[in-house]
Amino acid sequence: MTVASQVKQCLASLKSVKAGLETFAEQSVDAGTKQTLQHAARDFDRIISDIKKRISELEKEEPQYKGF
Amino acid sequence: MIMPEWLDVALRSILMIVGIFLLVRLLGKKQLSEMSFFEYITGITIGSIAGVLSLDRSVPVLYGFISIAIWVLIPLIFNLLMQKSKKVRDVVEGKATVFIKDGKILEENLKKEHYTTENLLYQLRKKDIFNIADVEFAVLETDGSLSVLKKKEKQPVTLKDMNLPTNPEKEPQTVIMDGKIIDEALKNSGLNRAWLKTELEKLGVAVENVFLGQVDSMGQLTVDLYADKITVPEPVEKPLLLATMKKCQADLELFALATKDQKAKEMYAKHAEKIEQLIQQVEPVLR
Repeated sequence: MTVASQVKQCLASLKSVKAGLETFAEQSVDAGTKQTLQHAARDFDRIISDIKKRISELEKEEPQYKGF
Repeated sequence: MIMPEWLDVALRSILMIVGIFLLVRLLGKKQLSEMSFFEYITGITIGSIAGVLSLDRSVPVLYGFISIAIWVLIPLIFNLLMQKSKKVRDVVEGKATVFIKDGKILEENLKKEHYTTENLLYQLRKKDIFNIADVEFAVLETDGSLSVLKKKEKQPVTLKDMNLPTNPEKEPQTVIMDGKIIDEALKNSGLNRAWLKTELEKLGVAVENVFLGQVDSMGQLTVDLYADKITVPEPVEKPLLLATMKKCQADLELFALATKDQKAKEMYAKHAEKIEQLIQQVEPVLR
């Protein structure tokens, strides 16, 4: 497995975590809990965009593995 | 008019049951949970009057009703007075007696309440206290039970003591009872029937088979089925989410170690740390 594909896998996990956090945030009744989860989801959003940037860098370095 | 004896007894009994039922409603709920000695005696007396009245045909029903009315009315008046004035409360209900203060037993107060040392030790043992040294303060309540405050170092650890973040939890809502959906409870937790249907499908059960279903404040559904041999899968979403977060964090750390690009290394390390913080924040919520 190449580095790029490993990073892509991690990106998928990150996205799933973000979605999970958002789901629980939507379902929770308590305002405090909702906020905690929403904040966490937002932080994950930032991480995801950084990882995406890194993936495009990696794809430039190894263009033969471009795409999924 | 001459009635057969058995009919008379039957009629009297039915009358008494209806009468007592109405009276119990009148006296209120307080009786059940925190009866004072006075109220306790009142209840027993009313009960025995009703008993005598339903069986003893020599007592005219009217006399019985007069007696019951007095036994109900006077406690009711007392109740009203008690709500108005503390002095009346102290006379009728008595005051709580302090038995242990600052860890020392007050022998005088024990004597006043006719309590022996064995009685006190017995009451403490019932509260899982075998050593008198663990007690900071103990008081005999007016209903005869002992309330005990343990010394601070002997009290169970709370989340606050440990400085752990807490997850404010609201009361769970019972959304399914005896196989029927309770719409009001669903509305209270901001959910609807469609949501409940998908959750039940996820668990693979039909509404009719559910004896009891509850939703916690996080929207997690727990069900108990009529068929006790079937095991319902435990909810896995929350632990799974937490595990995925931990995996992401580990992956990022791995990438940070693997890459030779200095900038990428820093980026990975920074985010790994951030996720670790986030895990700590959401862990109490997701547990």
